[in-house]
Amino acid sequence: MNETKVLARLGVAVLGLCMAGVVVVAERPDFTGVWGNYRAPGAGPPQRGAPAAPLPLKPEAKAKVDAYHALVDSRGETPGGFCLGTGMPGSMLGSGGYPMEIVQHDDLIIVVFEAHAEIRRIYLGEPAKEEDLFPDRNGYSLGRWDGDKLIVETTHLKEAVDQGRYPHSEDAKVVEEYTLVTNDDGTRVLTSKMTLTDPAFYTQTITAEKKWQFLPGVRLLPYECNEPTWEAHLDELRQQQHGGHAGQ
Amino acid sequence: MNRSAWLALALAVVAPSAAIAHHSAIRFDLTIRDNMVTGIVKEWVPANPHTKIVLEVTDEKGTRDIEYEGHSRNNYYRGGWRDGMVNVGDKITLNAAPTRDGSDGGYALGVITADGTRF
Repeated sequence: MNETKVLARLGVAVLGLCMAGVVVVAERPDFTGVWGNYRAPGAGPPQRGAPAAPLPLKPEAKAKVDAYHALVDSRGETPGGFCLGTGMPGSMLGSGGYPMEIVQHDDLIIVVFEAHAEIRRIYLGEPAKEEDLFPDRNGYSLGRWDGDKLIVETTHLKEAVDQGRYPHSEDAKVVEEYTLVTNDDGTRVLTSKMTLTDPAFYTQTITAEKKWQFLPGVRLLPYECNEPTWEAHLDELRQQQHGGHAGQ
Repeated sequence: MNRSAWLALALAVVAPSAAIAHHSAIRFDLTIRDNMVTGIVKEWVPANPHTKIVLEVTDEKGTRDIEYEGHSRNNYYRGGWRDGMVNVGDKITLNAAPTRDGSDGGYALGVITADGTRF
């Protein structure tokens, strides 16, 4: 069969499908499972390397961020050190190197980060009413499928100068595009391309990419970060109680 | 991901950035990776974001209890630690990054248990 005949038959087949009302829809991938930082085959452990390039912060925003770092850097203190979750976009871009678990439903995708048991919800149905929303470290995320890509828009973020890489204002908007591929070696790789738009903080949009790899057989562990602090508090109360009784 | 890969990830990514609640990893010189300390376990509290370890150590300064910070319980778990591997009274060795100012203490990058198990 020559090429012309093949193309003609293919055209007839496509026309037939269209006339029959058949719509070809890209299959939605299932992100459900536990994921860890992607490491390319043969790559060594992550390196701490050179400092990241300066961010295009506006002067007022830079002053806020610098003031924050002047406050904590010499002490080495971080939100995580005080058992506080990372918040967006840092949660999705790393979360301290710990794994995350995705539970995918038709109308909701739940992302559980092991670090600090931080949870992010991506709603896929109708958006919430504006009056029902309030600022949060992970914001409000609304997703939609574009073929086999998941597009997620996050708003209602709290101003966060304590973000490790991308501090932002409360007006920030984060758009992520998720795609899932399977490498030749069978590794399933989830890629997120992020665009941060925040005219209050930045002179231009920020883009970043993050890759995760599926971790078969790995379970997320509990992360009760405040437990030692609570137990220390109880010990203190017991000592006070003991002291009070001793004085009576 | 195997155990050593998890531990490498923990060493490279988590240790320098996190800090125990109301404490800070900046006190430790994490560039020193070969300092070994042996002592008797007085406290072993596997926790997040960091494990608390108190050892009775004897050296040229005498015998005393020294508190060390360690990786998170979760990272030790992925490095091979399991509940019951370290107990009060055990003689263990820490691969501990020392304090920057030379005072007692350190950051436990790795542990060798009484029976020689490493994590």
